[in-house]
Amino acid sequence: MRLKSVYKIPNGKLLKVFLDYDPRSNLIRDISITGDFFAYPEESVELIERELRNTVVDRDVLFSKIKSIVERNGIEFIGLDVEGLTQGILMCLT
Amino acid sequence: MFNMSEQWRLLKTEDRTAYTNMAIDWAVLKANSRGLVPPTVRFYTWKPSAISIGYFQSLKEEVDLDMCKRLGVNYVRRITGGGAVYHEHELTYSIVIPESHPQISKNIMESYSRICGALIRGLKRLRINSQYVPINDVVVDGKKISGSAQTRKSKTVLQHGTVLLDVDVDKMFSLLRVPSEKIRDKLISDVKQRVTSIKHVLGEELSFEEVADAMKTGFEEEFNVELVDGGLTRTELEDSKRFEKNYFSSYEWNHRK
Repeated sequence: MRLKSVYKIPNGKLLKVFLDYDPRSNLIRDISITGDFFAYPEESVELIERELRNTVVDRDVLFSKIKSIVERNGIEFIGLDVEGLTQGILMCLT
Repeated sequence: MFNMSEQWRLLKTEDRTAYTNMAIDWAVLKANSRGLVPPTVRFYTWKPSAISIGYFQSLKEEVDLDMCKRLGVNYVRRITGGGAVYHEHELTYSIVIPESHPQISKNIMESYSRICGALIRGLKRLRINSQYVPINDVVVDGKKISGSAQTRKSKTVLQHGTVLLDVDVDKMFSLLRVPSEKIRDKLISDVKQRVTSIKHVLGEELSFEEVADAMKTGFEEEFNVELVDGGLTRTELEDSKRFEKNYFSSYEWNHRK
């Protein structure tokens, strides 16, 4: 199932998430995180996309997983944050 | 006592394609990171006119590719984040400088502000009062006249951005995708309220050279340096050709999202 969300991050940029979602298992098959935000280093977004494959679409699970990837890799966002990215993914299902 | 200021390189490259422009910025970043060239400021224009999109944007989501083809407008994905920009009547600038340089902050937001300070000084030379508005804009009376985007690779900062000489919002929106046709007119009128240009502020058109001269002084004053006219090195030319071929003119790069 291919889903999409458009979410204006509060005080930030416009996030557009494209989600390939498996409704039976509630898992992310694939995800593309797009928008006019900034992330340093840029390659970190691809890393987040890879690590989110086969993750359960649940607010707490997504938030802590993204937060952990960001902290572990010293990722710096501008115009985007962990909360906003989590929200953007969840909005694909609403 | 002489107060010898540091010398940086100044490049002026008018009328290059979108692919070449993005490739040169990357090649200069690479050369600077290897210590082969001094900090560099470049002023440039785009021919044909082009849309650049941010590194994280979806090309098809943001750009009307059929319209680009029809109007002969190129499109390219940048190595910097940020939004889609239509480059036509503008001076584009780029600055490449080591992250460790005393004139540049380790803090990304602070360095945006500092580099935009050079643009503000340049605009002041043209009798235009402007302010920096975070994250990445310079505004005149609340209207955007310049937007910038920054990346840091190999401990080197590249920031590039626009200074609008004139702006054609209708043409820009014919090339950019909008969420729905219903709101296109509303969006266009909103953007017309929020964007301005040197021509609009001064009531007269200035040439690329006039604006480049002002911006040169702006960078010199802000960073207390002397900008010395120069050219690309052979290594930079070779790298830029390679980057143009392997990345910026390739389908894989531009359509990767």
